[in-house]
Amino acid sequence: MLLVEAVPSSVAPAVAGPHRLRFHGRASSLFGIHIVNVFFTLLTLGLYYFWAKARVRRYVFGQTEFDGDRFLFEGRGLEMLLGFVKAVVVFGLPLAALNYVPPFLEVGRAVTVATSLAAYGLVLVLIPVARSGARRYRLSRTSWRGIRLSFRGRTLEFVRVFVGGALLSAITLGLYYPAFVVRNHGFLTRHSYVGGARFDFDGRGPDLLVDFLYAVLLTLPTLGLVWFWFVAAKRRYLWQHTRLGEARFQSTITGGRLLRLKLGNLALIVVTLGLGWPLASVRTARFLCRHIWLEGALDAAAIRQEIQTATATGEGLLGLFEADLDMG
Amino acid sequence: MSWSGHYLDGRSAERRRATAQVTASGLEIITEDGAVRQWPFAQIRQTQGRYAGEPVRLERGGAAAESLIVEDVGLLTALRQATNGPRGRFHDPRRRRLRAPLTLGAGLAAVGLALGLYVWGIPTLAAATAHLVPTAWETRLGDEIYRRLVRPEDRCGDPERQRAIDAIVARLTEAGGTGAYRLQVTVVDWPQFNALALPGGQIVVMRGLLDRTDSAEMLAGVLAHEAQHILRRHTTRAVIQHASTALMVAAIAGDVSGLAAFALEGARAVAALSYSRQAEAEADAEGLRMLLRARIDPTPMIAFFDRVVREEDLEEPNEGLRRYLTTHPANRERVARLRSLAAGAPAGARLLAGADWAEIKRICGG
Repeated sequence: MLLVEAVPSSVAPAVAGPHRLRFHGRASSLFGIHIVNVFFTLLTLGLYYFWAKARVRRYVFGQTEFDGDRFLFEGRGLEMLLGFVKAVVVFGLPLAALNYVPPFLEVGRAVTVATSLAAYGLVLVLIPVARSGARRYRLSRTSWRGIRLSFRGRTLEFVRVFVGGALLSAITLGLYYPAFVVRNHGFLTRHSYVGGARFDFDGRGPDLLVDFLYAVLLTLPTLGLVWFWFVAAKRRYLWQHTRLGEARFQSTITGGRLLRLKLGNLALIVVTLGLGWPLASVRTARFLCRHIWLEGALDAAAIRQEIQTATATGEGLLGLFEADLDMG
Repeated sequence: MSWSGHYLDGRSAERRRATAQVTASGLEIITEDGAVRQWPFAQIRQTQGRYAGEPVRLERGGAAAESLIVEDVGLLTALRQATNGPRGRFHDPRRRRLRAPLTLGAGLAAVGLALGLYVWGIPTLAAATAHLVPTAWETRLGDEIYRRLVRPEDRCGDPERQRAIDAIVARLTEAGGTGAYRLQVTVVDWPQFNALALPGGQIVVMRGLLDRTDSAEMLAGVLAHEAQHILRRHTTRAVIQHASTALMVAAIAGDVSGLAAFALEGARAVAALSYSRQAEAEADAEGLRMLLRARIDPTPMIAFFDRVVREEDLEEPNEGLRRYLTTHPANRERVARLRSLAAGAPAGARLLAGADWAEIKRICGG
């Protein structure tokens, strides 16, 4: 029989921060996973790619700890494959049709131009559909302390925010761009949840404008390096305006640190002809975990489970458009 | 034997210290508040704890599952012993030692697979799929490559002389055999001794090659050869092959996204593509037939190839010629085969009768 210490109460008070992230992953393990993934991907002529993606993500999430507990990613290769197929059929084929069919039919120039414009418009709409869809999928398959994350923003609403912001950025010759970035991020953050606890974002559109203008002006004299400082300032700003309940995220990402990280990663990948990417990924994850944390009281008992469903179509659609810039 | 860790109830993010022990029917979990939970073996699944340093996570239940997290992998061994049940449900920590050799094996096998695909798989695949690509796509692809390859200012567009070159193309194609393709020849002001065919019908002739032709018939020979690369879809096949190879390299290097970018990157390298020996022989023979159908004297074409072969025998072929030779391997055998194919052909009517070829050749000015 086992004797259990009697604990007076299970009502734990909210614990004050800092609530730290830690990355435990090792490049050697990630490299091993990658080698096996390459083998199966070649063997299946690429079909295994989706399972490979799931395995890498499962490893990376499982090695990331927040406040003492690791994340768990439960996405599956098969659902990602089906999501990709669905994205190709529902969105990819109409897009390809708009692009390729008119020249083939030898219709008039006006029709060709009109369909090309329609294709551009469709892409502009599909990018936010993909981004919010991928976020919905990824968060729904991720949990922390047994509590599922979720994204509950309405896709149409994000399309409106994104397309409106993109057009405004174009009309203002880029002046609106920093506000565009902040508003997109704000929308995605404000509709993200851990269980029933919603993330909040209190950044305001114009705040990054001065940094942005500095970066534009200093691009030539600094040979573009100033953008590392802008990106760092942007990330600090976005994190510091993100809250979870009473707690607020903090970040010490600086331009110099970001530059060191990126140059190091670039050198690693170039020297190893690409094979060094697991180490580069691990360096990036460690960097992010070291320089981002949550400060303030976090009441774990108040974070209640609420489960939302999601399909992998948005994930597949994002795969059609852009590189996986995040880890795995 | 009991294991300590913590327990999550799946309803809130609060974690409770817990101890667990394996009983005859399952896992007994006692949390710090004194509550006792029984998890029958059949309902337990493992979701984490397969890698060194990763705690073991066991779960029970559906979507809002309860979890038990224990650092010590000994729990897995105990569970395996107690269940003796279906293999693979609980990770065997001893198997981690096998991981390094298995990974090495997978790595070696992957290298073998990659080589096999490169040498045999991709060429076979490219040959099979090249014929399935609609001509409209080929044309579009060719136009895209052309746009990336040739800057507008490099184009030699003198209208009078271009008309003469277009007349040669018209002569070559009037006897048919070009299907849905519309051949279009562009001379570019590059010093290289080369010509290249793009999918869909574009042929780019470089000034260095045009300068070395003595007559319209010689150029017609080169054009007929390049046209066959297009009509027989050698170029499309080469582009597919190149793109697939780039994709495979990307898969190995860990970045499989941005498929379109890779495809275009491959397309840009089309200038450096070479065709197989068999494709060259095919283009030679069919090109010659094309000349004969158009009633163009094949002798200058053969003389031109002969000249290329002779210069190859010289000690130091110039840089441009060397490049042409690497993309168009010429040899005596090829010339001999052409001679035998052309034997007995009628001389044919002069191309561009009355025009001064030396004058037309100056399409790039100077």
